[in-house]
Amino acid sequence: MGLAYEFDWGVLWRQPYGLWLLKGVGLTVIIGLSSWFIALALGIFIGTLRVTSYRILRFIGTFYVEVLRNIPLLVQMFFWFYAGPMLFGEHLGRKINHINELNIYVAILCLGLYTASRVAEHVRAGFASIHRDQYQAALSTGMTQMQMYRYVIIPYALRLIIPPLTTEFLTIFKNTSIAMTIGVAELTFQSYRIDAETFHGLEATTGAMIIYFFLGMAVVKFMGLLEKRFKIPGLVGR
Amino acid sequence: MRRLAIIGLILAFGLALVCAPALAGPTLDRIEKTGKIRIGFREGSIPFAYIDAKVGKHVGFSVDMAGLLAENLSKRFGKKIKIVPFTVTPKTRIPMVVNGTIDVEMGSTTYTAKREEVADFSLIFFFSETTFLVAKDSGIKTLADLNGKRVGAARGTTNLKAVRKLAEEGKFKPAAIVVTETHPQGMLALKSGKIDAYSTDRSLLEGLRMKDQNPDKWMTVDFAIAYEPYAYICRENDSDFRDFLNNTILWAIKTGKFFEIYEKWMGPNGVVPIKMSPAYKDYLQMIVYPISEGWWKKK
Repeated sequence: MGLAYEFDWGVLWRQPYGLWLLKGVGLTVIIGLSSWFIALALGIFIGTLRVTSYRILRFIGTFYVEVLRNIPLLVQMFFWFYAGPMLFGEHLGRKINHINELNIYVAILCLGLYTASRVAEHVRAGFASIHRDQYQAALSTGMTQMQMYRYVIIPYALRLIIPPLTTEFLTIFKNTSIAMTIGVAELTFQSYRIDAETFHGLEATTGAMIIYFFLGMAVVKFMGLLEKRFKIPGLVGR
Repeated sequence: MRRLAIIGLILAFGLALVCAPALAGPTLDRIEKTGKIRIGFREGSIPFAYIDAKVGKHVGFSVDMAGLLAENLSKRFGKKIKIVPFTVTPKTRIPMVVNGTIDVEMGSTTYTAKREEVADFSLIFFFSETTFLVAKDSGIKTLADLNGKRVGAARGTTNLKAVRKLAEEGKFKPAAIVVTETHPQGMLALKSGKIDAYSTDRSLLEGLRMKDQNPDKWMTVDFAIAYEPYAYICRENDSDFRDFLNNTILWAIKTGKFFEIYEKWMGPNGVVPIKMSPAYKDYLQMIVYPISEGWWKKK
């Protein structure tokens, strides 16, 4: 008995299946990039909060990071999508629920907020790895604490953490697949849909795998270029 | 192990073919001779045919119908005809009828053209309908009422396919089709106002409704957008037996026994309450041809 499964790679480009995959890739890229934007901006902010000398700010930063990174993303997605709108009261909640493509917005926001907590940790680690002399040197030139962070520490730290951020950037694309659970028709969703309609799930999944792989490679290459471009000779890297 | 099973299956089919002449005699004759009818039941198809853990026996709507069949056979032959129950699965139910292990399968099998190629089917006795659950006060009564509304269905279901197809064909124009991961999530989406109507099988929708804190707030709509007809499986080329099976169904409808059994399993207090849609009720009335007491006698 041979394999009972007969491969039909045609489903990857036959219409409408090829188009579904293409749409899925588009949505995956849009969600990944948009949430990465949120994650980066918020993550740097929160990470900085965690190392300031103000106790209340540090507390806010720590609270945010611990809550967001300790709850599985899957659960967060579910919560924000189904319970989130209820937090706004009945009238406004109903309006929010009626926003078209609400699930996509929720996915972007949720993924962004979650990844921000992880970015914040890397940022904090970046700060911690900068020698305390740097801080003192900056302050001794008459900079305020704000200026010290803005002009000295953050530019440093960001360069230091490019490698770990690459991983986060990669992960955010992979995590977009969790948006499937709230009905976002991204790449994994579409490959499952092709499976449901054609029973050729293996081909569709393989197609999705290859696409994810190349997306990931693009991210790695891009971050590698960034790292090179912003390297400070003698300070970061080999 | 798997290969052994496959070889076994092939052998079983081969044997069935070789022995076919021996089985070809009308099923009714054999039932008369042995005083037994062999019937295949599912073990988990609630409420049609399943094993009740408490009594350790097959029970359900179709099992009660099998009881009627045995009753009628007893009347025909003037002696008690006993049911020998067999447990079947979706994979084995057709082969077991075809190879003569069982005389008829009475469960919840969907009647399809592909299956009709290898076996015969009784009259359709039930329709699993793809329909919608809505709030009672939503005013949604027809498909047209769903235009501009937000509808939901679970990923990977035939129901979602049906909803999408209908929307693509322009039969209705929903504001959005929301895909959920599970049926309970669909119910949650409905309750939280994300969607105005949730679509799956009527039986499942009624199950969701009954589990809600407020079952009376919801209702399934009267229309359906797709049907899966259920019928019983019997052997090909044995029209006497098939007629007898069909007449059992018709007679049950005519005498009201069918509705009693339906009420018992799928009525408001049944195991799985499934409201009879008007279309289904009409269908049942329309298939009954004039039939009277004594139809079971041999002509």
